Amino acid sequence: MVVTDSSDSGTILRVRGPLEFKCQLDSTDARLMQKVISRTFATLHSQVKSESCVLTVCDSSLIIWPNKGVYVTPEEITPNTLCEDIHQWIQTDEQESAGKRSSKKKNKKSSAASVINLRLMMEVTKTGPLSAPILRRTLQKSHFLSTTLPMDCVVRTTCSDTIKDAFERLLEALTHQLCEMEKVTLQHMKGATLLVPEPLHFLLPEPKGLVTVVYPVGVPDSQLETHRKELHQQFELPDDWPYFRRANAFHFSNEPYKDGYLRNPHVVLTHPTLDNGKVYLVQGIYSYHHYMQDHMDDNGWGCAYRSLQTICSWFTQQGYVERAVPTHREIQQTLVDVGDKQGSFVGSRQWIGSIEVQVVLNQLLEVTSKIMFVSQGSELASKGRELANHFLTEGTPIMIGGGVLAHTILGVAWSETTGQIRYLILDPHYTGAEDLQVITDKGWCGWKGPDFWDQTAYYNLCLPQRPKVI
Amino acid sequence: MGRSYIVEDAVEGCLSKLCEQKAGSVTGLLLGQSSPQRDFVVMATRTPPREETPAGNPVDKEWVSEHARQVSRMLPGGLSVLGVFIITDTEAKDTLTTLRQLVFAMESLVSSEQLWSPAEDDVSDCVALHVNRKTRKTFCRTFDVKDPKSTAKPADWRYQAGVCSSWSMVSCCLHVDLLVPLPDNKTDPENMDKCLKEELRGWAQRLESGVCLMDGRKLAEDAELPGGQKRNVRQTYTAQILVTPSEQRLADEEQRCGGSVSIRGAVHSRAYLHSNKPKARLAQKLLKRDAVATVTTRVQMLLEELLTSEDENKSSSKQKRELFCLPHRVFCPLKASGPLCVCDYQFSDESVCEVTERLKEMLDIDAAEEDLDSSQEAPGEITEREVGAEPTVETVVALEPKRNSFIGVAMATAVALLATAASMLYLNDV
Repeated sequence: MVVTDSSDSGTILRVRGPLEFKCQLDSTDARLMQKVISRTFATLHSQVKSESCVLTVCDSSLIIWPNKGVYVTPEEITPNTLCEDIHQWIQTDEQESAGKRSSKKKNKKSSAASVINLRLMMEVTKTGPLSAPILRRTLQKSHFLSTTLPMDCVVRTTCSDTIKDAFERLLEALTHQLCEMEKVTLQHMKGATLLVPEPLHFLLPEPKGLVTVVYPVGVPDSQLETHRKELHQQFELPDDWPYFRRANAFHFSNEPYKDGYLRNPHVVLTHPTLDNGKVYLVQGIYSYHHYMQDHMDDNGWGCAYRSLQTICSWFTQQGYVERAVPTHREIQQTLVDVGDKQGSFVGSRQWIGSIEVQVVLNQLLEVTSKIMFVSQGSELASKGRELANHFLTEGTPIMIGGGVLAHTILGVAWSETTGQIRYLILDPHYTGAEDLQVITDKGWCGWKGPDFWDQTAYYNLCLPQRPKVI
Repeated sequence: MGRSYIVEDAVEGCLSKLCEQKAGSVTGLLLGQSSPQRDFVVMATRTPPREETPAGNPVDKEWVSEHARQVSRMLPGGLSVLGVFIITDTEAKDTLTTLRQLVFAMESLVSSEQLWSPAEDDVSDCVALHVNRKTRKTFCRTFDVKDPKSTAKPADWRYQAGVCSSWSMVSCCLHVDLLVPLPDNKTDPENMDKCLKEELRGWAQRLESGVCLMDGRKLAEDAELPGGQKRNVRQTYTAQILVTPSEQRLADEEQRCGGSVSIRGAVHSRAYLHSNKPKARLAQKLLKRDAVATVTTRVQMLLEELLTSEDENKSSSKQKRELFCLPHRVFCPLKASGPLCVCDYQFSDESVCEVTERLKEMLDIDAAEEDLDSSQEAPGEITEREVGAEPTVETVVALEPKRNSFIGVAMATAVALLATAASMLYLNDV
């Protein structure tokens, strides 16, 4: 494990790059195989520590040789330059399109420490003259293994760190990661099959910060519980939040999500300040599901389905389940399977309510939920304490259905003394594109007052309960 | 608008001399560098005489192509076979078909050995020059070898002094480290060739997408190499190449194999650019291609030798471990004064005079031993470490096979290895 120190400002240096792993296993004797694997890792160690190892800063002309006295090109930069200054050499989109981005900058809150991405490369040229190549042919029946190790290390720097300090630490991180990978590889070897060791980063509560763990690809989370238990003990973490499940791996802000859904649009909003009030929010990450997504025209009838999808996404992203967010059809089929609906329900445009949401969560994700009932919308104003408690202990999004509409509640701002209350609402009725600016400006994700609810209609709320596991 | 060939003065003299030969047609190759704007011809080299055929016979397509293939191996990056010439008594229009056939046949054979992917800015026109023996008049045409239906396009042929003088050179010393499994029961040279070719293709791709530094700096693609202001100062640049193992590697491989082949060592690679202000992009491309070509050529040469020697003594190749030295690269200047060099490959058991003989035969260059530059690479060393790597296994160091220097015998074995390419070539008469 590599723990990066936390500090308020400072930059994260992240180096990624593949290292070729090739070896021949002559025999099936486990000990001999292990020796060959260890020997191959030793070769990689020397590669990383050699003068041919190079780290290049993405989107810039900066290249660093960490093992040549931390030699840097271009020459304007020396090993004693501050790490922070690297930013000036990076070509960003903003520099190229100066005018276009200014309006977006206003809304975005300053995010966590900035990330400088680096690539791990090898220099294949040397100063000659050297000996011409030798071709060696070996005749030996064996198993040939060839794979790529996906190196991925992070180092957090402070504003006073020089390039020399930071890159020496990066090199230590790389070496350390190779050791971890060797351990994981040997541990999970099955005969002559190797599982690729994959590094993932996890963000632990401050002051621990970013931690890197190596997991074997292909082994599901369920089989790695012992490993996670050890980690929880090592970092003195409570046993009821899955910090180290793969789905909880830290997502770097400069990488778009492959599925295209927005994550946690609420974080860019300014939260209301009430007298003696506090804000209680959903914990973790969810994706925003709404009308018309996935080429599914559910305008006018699918709002509860979308709210359910948002809730399911929360359970997947926190690593509690490993299934994709269910489609409308899958949701309907589930209800038929448990006997809640007739077969004709599948493919129809019939609405569902919080009871159906509860049933599906239970059947598909094995998640239990509490149902809260209010006979009139005006009563919701008095539910501040219960909602606050829910976000404190469970932290899951709430589905609320009533009148003719369904919504998702992501948090409350509530004052115990004055009783003032605001609700953070994620509206599934939005039919536009995944544009964070529009969604937040127009209130599709926004804070609403008690008058948001139909004061005379009755409402059912589905409050999903978080499984207390790691 | 046709292409424009700027030709070194000395080439005119060379062609004139060839015109004075006895009757019959003389063919040969034109060597130089192509660029989208114009082309430079630095040398004309006649097709070596074939022992069996008396002069005056029709042009031998096969022979000319093979000559081109051998010559291509002797040209460092930036220089290539641009086309063919023919000196004859017949009219220009009558030789057009022959020239066309020659050009296509030659291009096809030469490009079959190239493992890099073609680039958009590659020039696909080849020159076909007809020289009338009596009048010495030249007719210059080009054919687009990418288009099988292409017709002759007129082109400019202009002599100029000093074409060989203003060239820049980029070079580097590249370390090669490849390991390839050989399938079970298929460890003979032909299969080694196939497996190595695959691996070299992948290696070529990695090089192509690698970062290239010139004199220690990473330059933008459109940038010009620095310092090209003075006209007569020879510019040389040292390049560095950084690579990542291919990211799009296919699923992890695990296969049973009957053995493996590894290639480890370093090669000197260089490319020439005709320009005072060469673009970084072009310099990179030509240098990387030379790197791929020099490794591929040497592997081919070694395998061609192994194929011959294993045919002769069937029983030999059952040793568990064999080490072979690839030949090392030797350079020879084209002209005493200019910066341009051609190259050849010398096996460790060959003497320098074999190199000079080949230079004479292929390129008609009279080189003295002192002119040759073998300092860029050291001959391959089989060190104790290599031999004693695994003491339990019997290691045999095979003596480097005797190189057959002459084009005829080399051609026979080469045809065996390039069987597919050759049969395609001769069956499709263009």
